[in-house]
This record gives sequence, C-alpha cells and structure tokens, in this order.
Amino acid sequence: MPESEWTMTEADRLVLSAVMDLIVPSSDALPGAGEMGLAEKAEELAGQIDLYGEALRRILDALSLEPSARAEGGFAALEEDQRIAALKALESNMVKHFDKFVDLVYIVYYSDERVHEKVGWRTGPLQPRGWELPPFDPTILETVSKREPFWRRV
Amino acid sequence: MSITHPPTDILILGSGASGAAVAWRLSNSGFNVVCLEQGRWIKPAEYPNEHEDWEIQARTNWAFDPNVRGLAEDYPINVDDSPIDPLMFNAVGGSTIHWTAHTPRFHPSDFRVKTLDGVADDWPLTYDELEPFYDAYDELMGCSGINGDPANPPRKERPMPPLPIGPDGERMARAFDRLGWHWWPSDSYINSVPYKGRLACNNCGNTGLGCSRGAKGQTDVAIWPEAIKNGVELRTDSRVFRVETDQNGKATGASYYDADGNENFQPAKAVVLAMNGVGTPRIMLNSASESYPDGLCNSSGLLGKNLMFHPYAMVSGLFDDDIKTSQGALANMILCQEFYETNFSKDFVRGYTYQVARSSGPISTACGYMFGRVPWGADHHAEFRRRFDNVTVLGVIGEDLPEEHNRVELDPKLTDSNGIPAPKVFYQLSSNSRRQLDDAIANAETALREAGAVHVLGTALLKAAGWHLMGTARMGDDPASSVVDRWGQAHDADNIFVVDGSVFVTCAAVNPTPTIGALALRTADYIDRERSDLKS
Ligand SMILES: Cc1cc2nc3c(=O)[nH]c(=O)nc-3n(C[C@H](O)[C@H](O)[C@H](O)COP(=O)(O)OP(=O)(O)OC[C@H]3O[C@@H](n4cnc5c(N)ncnc54)[C@H](O)[C@@H]3O)c2cc1C
Ligand code: SF4
Repeated sequence: MPESEWTMTEADRLVLSAVMDLIVPSSDALPGAGEMGLAEKAEELAGQIDLYGEALRRILDALSLEPSARAEGGFAALEEDQRIAALKALESNMVKHFDKFVDLVYIVYYSDERVHEKVGWRTGPLQPRGWELPPFDPTILETVSKREPFWRRV
Repeated sequence: MSITHPPTDILILGSGASGAAVAWRLSNSGFNVVCLEQGRWIKPAEYPNEHEDWEIQARTNWAFDPNVRGLAEDYPINVDDSPIDPLMFNAVGGSTIHWTAHTPRFHPSDFRVKTLDGVADDWPLTYDELEPFYDAYDELMGCSGINGDPANPPRKERPMPPLPIGPDGERMARAFDRLGWHWWPSDSYINSVPYKGRLACNNCGNTGLGCSRGAKGQTDVAIWPEAIKNGVELRTDSRVFRVETDQNGKATGASYYDADGNENFQPAKAVVLAMNGVGTPRIMLNSASESYPDGLCNSSGLLGKNLMFHPYAMVSGLFDDDIKTSQGALANMILCQEFYETNFSKDFVRGYTYQVARSSGPISTACGYMFGRVPWGADHHAEFRRRFDNVTVLGVIGEDLPEEHNRVELDPKLTDSNGIPAPKVFYQLSSNSRRQLDDAIANAETALREAGAVHVLGTALLKAAGWHLMGTARMGDDPASSVVDRWGQAHDADNIFVVDGSVFVTCAAVNPTPTIGALALRTADYIDRERSDLKS
C-alpha cells in the first residue's frame, strides 16, 4: 500500500468483507466472496501491489465517511439496498479507484480453487500440462483451396 | 568517469526481433559484434505459465504495458495524448518474449500503396526483393503453416505444418466457407512439431507471456544461443542513452549506463539501432549533437514522425455449446483476408485482416480485456457464465496510414530510472482508420453469427493494443522525405543503420514482425556484401 503507515483495522476488515459479498454475491454453489473468507487475500494482494493497495485504501476511506454508514453504526450494519446504493455512488464518483477495487475482488475470487471447481476451470499452472488438440487436418481446406488466387498483382 | 570498452565492428542496440537477427547474420560472416540490451536474461521457470498465479502476473509484473509493469528495466511512456498505449517487453528477446507469434507476411500490394491507391508512399523495395529474407527469417524463428493460400502469393514450404486449429477454429472456418469468405490457417512462429532442439507447443493457451517450453519463436531461444556461439557479446543491463558521433556526423559508438549506474562507452565502426519503433526514435532524439541539432540523422525532420500502430477493434462471439475456447495458442488458429485490399465502393482505402483468437482464464474473463468487465452484483454469476471459456474473438488489424502528426517526442519531464528522457506519444485515429474499423466490426458480427454465436460484443478501439510500433524513422530513396535508405542506412551517416519497425513506410494490415525480421536480415546482408570496411 502506497501510504506505508496505513494498515487495516478490524472494522475495515468487516467492511471489506461485506463489500466483497456485494461485488460477488453468493451463487447456487458458493457463498459470496466475503463470506468465503477472501478479504484476507484481498488485503494481502493489496499489500503487494500499489495499484490495488491504493484502490482498497481509497474505497475503504470513502465508505468510512459515508454519512448513512456513520449514522447507522458502520457500513456493514446498513440494509443491503443502502449498501448497494453507497457502492453505486462510489462507482460513479471514484471511477478509477473503484475500477481497480473491483478488479482486486475479482482477482482473489477467481484465484480460489473452490471457484475454479465451480466454473469448471482446471486449477494450477498452465505448464507443464497443456492441452491435447487433434493435429491439423488439411481436409478442412477443401472449400477455400478451390478459390482462385485473388491477391492483387503489382 | 566513463568506462571505455575495446572497440567492436558492429554495435547493435536492442536484442529483440530485429537486433538478434542482425547479430546472428553478421557474426556468421565474421564481424565482431557487441549488442547492448537494457533488460536481462529471463529463465524459463520465471514465466507466469509455470506459476499458479499466472493470471495475476499478467496484470501486474508481466503486464503487456510497461507503464503498468514499471520494472527498473522498463521506461515509462507518456500516453496522455494517445488513445492507444504502446506495449513492449524489455529483456533479452525484447517483445518476442511477450508476443503471440502470429506471423503473416505483407502482400505484394502493400509495398505499392501510392501507385495502386494514391495514398501514403510506395516502399523503395518490392515483395519479391524481400521474399528470400522472409524465408530466411521463417527458418530462423521456426514457422508453422501451409501453402496454397489464395489470398497470398505462392511461397516456399514452411519449416513445420500448421498448429492445430482446434474445434473453435474449425467452427469459424466452416462459417467463413459458408459465407464464401477467405480464411487460412495462421502462419505462426510456434513449433507445431519439435524444431531445432526446441519442444513442440502443447496448446497451454497463454502464448502472450513467454513460453517456458521454448516452443515459441522468441529470439532468446531461437536466435541468441547460436549468435553467442558465433562470438557475439550480448551485454545485458546496459541502457543506451546516446549514440555518439564525430564532427562529420559519423557514429563512433554508444554511451550507456550499466547495472550500477556507471557511464560506459562502447566504440564501434558502425551502430545498428534495434530498440523498436518507440525506443529507437527516443534514443535518436536524445542523441542530438552539434552535427545533429534536431536528433541523430534527422535532416529530413521526420525522425519520430509517422508513428503507426495498427488500431485494433475486437469483436467477440459468445457461444453456448461445449467447446472450450481457452485451449490452444491464444491468437494462432486462422485468419481471414477477405477484405484485405482496397474496395473502391467503400468509404475508406486499404483494408483489414481478421486474426481469430481464443479466450483466456477466469480472471481475464471477469476483469475483461477484449471487451468490458463482467458487472458486479446480482447479475455477476449469470454474466460470467455466459462469457467464460466460450468466446471466439475476431481481432481486426486495419492498415493505419502514416500521418506526420502521429509521433514520438521526448517528454520534457518524465524520465526512466537512469534519468534518460522518456518518450511521449501523440496519436490520433484517422477518419479512414475509423471507417475501416467500423466496416470490419459489422462484417465480423456477420461471420460470428454465421458460426453460431448467440451474442456478439465489440470493442470499437482497444486501448491496450499498441503491439506494433512502426514508421518513426521511415525508409525511402529521397533524403528529404525519409530517414534511412532502402538498406536501412541513415541518409545522413553511412555507418548508422536502423532495422526495427521504425523503418516502415506503411504498415499493411498484418502483424509486422516477419517483415521486421526480413528487413533486418536484408540490412545485415547488405552490410556483409557491401561494407567490408566495417569488418576488422
Ligand atoms: C503482447 C505483444 C504481442 C505481440 N504479438 C505479435 C504477433 O502476434 N505478431 C507480430 O508480428 N508481432 C507481435 N508483436 C510485436 C512484436 O513483438 C514486435 O514487432 C517485435 O518484437 C519488434 O522487434 P524489435 O526488434 O523492433 O523490438 P523489440 O523486440 O521490442 O526489442 C527491442 C529491444 O531493445 C531494448 N532497448 C530499448 N531501449 C533500449 C535502450 N535505451 N538501451 C538498451 N536496450 C534498449 C529493449 O529492452 C528490447 O529488448 C507483439 C508485441 C507484444 C508486446
Ligand atoms: S500455447 Fe504453446 S507456444 Fe504458447 S506458451 Fe503455451 S506451449 Fe508455448
């Protein structure tokens, strides 16, 4: 995170988790991103990559200043439609940081093996496994090969 | 104080697609060659494909965009005045580490656009003159493909058969057949079978991030080992800041910073610039001197100007069948050149190629690359499912015409980690290119629907698409309207050569690297034949 003195409080972690559940809500197979316990991963990645660290800090800062959240005892205590409205406001007012923040949530969510299993993605590195594909079969050229050469002579 | 090295015959700046080819060719003929490269060697085990977090690395320390990576060996680029971001990689192998190795050739007509269509300029050479060097570069890098393409002239047998086109490629090919449109298996510098001690591709899918199998034609594995065996000294972590010249304007060598930040001078009989279409004009502009007040060899005033990018549109078809579209080399299945040549009934000149490409992993799908991000919130899962592992992309490569206002300059403030001025890129999409892309988007939708796509999403102009950097030190016969001659030799100094995409007069509607490599080999051949004065 760019501002080295900035660290997340327990309250921030609660808010982050609640926000993550809104960004990627529960599906038929899995709970939401926050409920899956991925806030810690998001915090870790944000600590490694400035771009995401700054986005996370700005978004949490902005949510802590959100008037309705202050009145009600914190973002996590708001009704769901109020939370969504607060996020939508950030999305239009803080385009760049919100954008990176959503990327951060998606990155940790779609790095998780449980999610890979759910969406049918083979987890792990691409190599050395690769994929088997049938070798090129020239019979597929039958139609296009019949065409007269049409490149422009000069 | 500057460290001065023993002199060499040929000093090459940059170790990518072009610099490596020149080093190999001239060292084969007994020239002493030193190459300065600002980056380092990358070990195959470092490539993201070997790591679980490869998709995260693709967006951070392995991003295509040097401004996102921000590594010490990268230089920043000011893109405030460009809707397209230049992309490149800085290491031994240059951008061939990152490239997807899709390797079509220019068509004969591409060298004659002024004569044929009355636009831009003709090249000072023909397809026929370049053909043997295309063949040689194909052989060197390892080309997979097949003869018989009706859209291109007949040519020598490729060293390897085509890569598998996969069920997704077949689906698209059959759609083109039904429409009566051209298509052909893509030429690729990717091994379809083992080649010269390198393994065959195993279709892992992520070609754009370095191939740890050595199956992709990257110059660090395809060319450098042999060049080094020939005696070339490849000096890494060496960042050039100026080409030095004498009072007659001839090059005496180049000054650079080593890894410890010390200034070094490498004297040479000739200097070959191969730092790509942005890096080369940057260093030439930074080499202004008494002999060259406006930048090295810039008597024409055209250094840095006429930047061409190949503006890209991407049209994606979403399918609802079981074909997995992430399996196989990312952008290497088939291409379509039905609309390649000028059609005078249309409202634009020149034409375009469709490069048919695959999809990537779950993070790229969610965060979006070819088209926008999957929305967050209640609709997220349904929309993700619609887009994941079932997308075929028609990438539109349109011919961008050269315009002087599209250019590279030195930024007055921004610098790299050594304090060398960074480039600033100025680029505006021309109305011709816009109309060309719009036509391509409409036709792409027709083709994707014919193939069975249930939804079609398009990106009218991809920002992160400055893969091809061309035109900024153009070649020509007239010193008033070009920076280098037909051999890549500067008009202003007979021992300064440019061999990267900077020399392009026009950019055709195909990926440029086979043409860059062929031109580089041709320049090296010229030096070997005609410039024995440069050999000790
Ligand atoms: C993601 C991506 C995908 C691509 N896909 C394709 C494709 O499918 N087909 C295709 O034809 N092309 C593709 N390209 C383009 C292709 O990579 C380039 O055209 C080609 O590599 C250009 O070769 P070059 O020698 O001009 O420059 P590069 O290969 O970029 O090499 C330039 C070298 O110069 C070095 N350098 C720069 N400045 C300095 C300095 N001051 N001092 C010392 N060294 C310096 C750099 O570190 C670099 O290693 C792609 C590019 C990218 C980024
Ligand atoms: S798809 Fe093939 S060429 Fe590309 S990285 Fe994987 S193995 Fe290498």
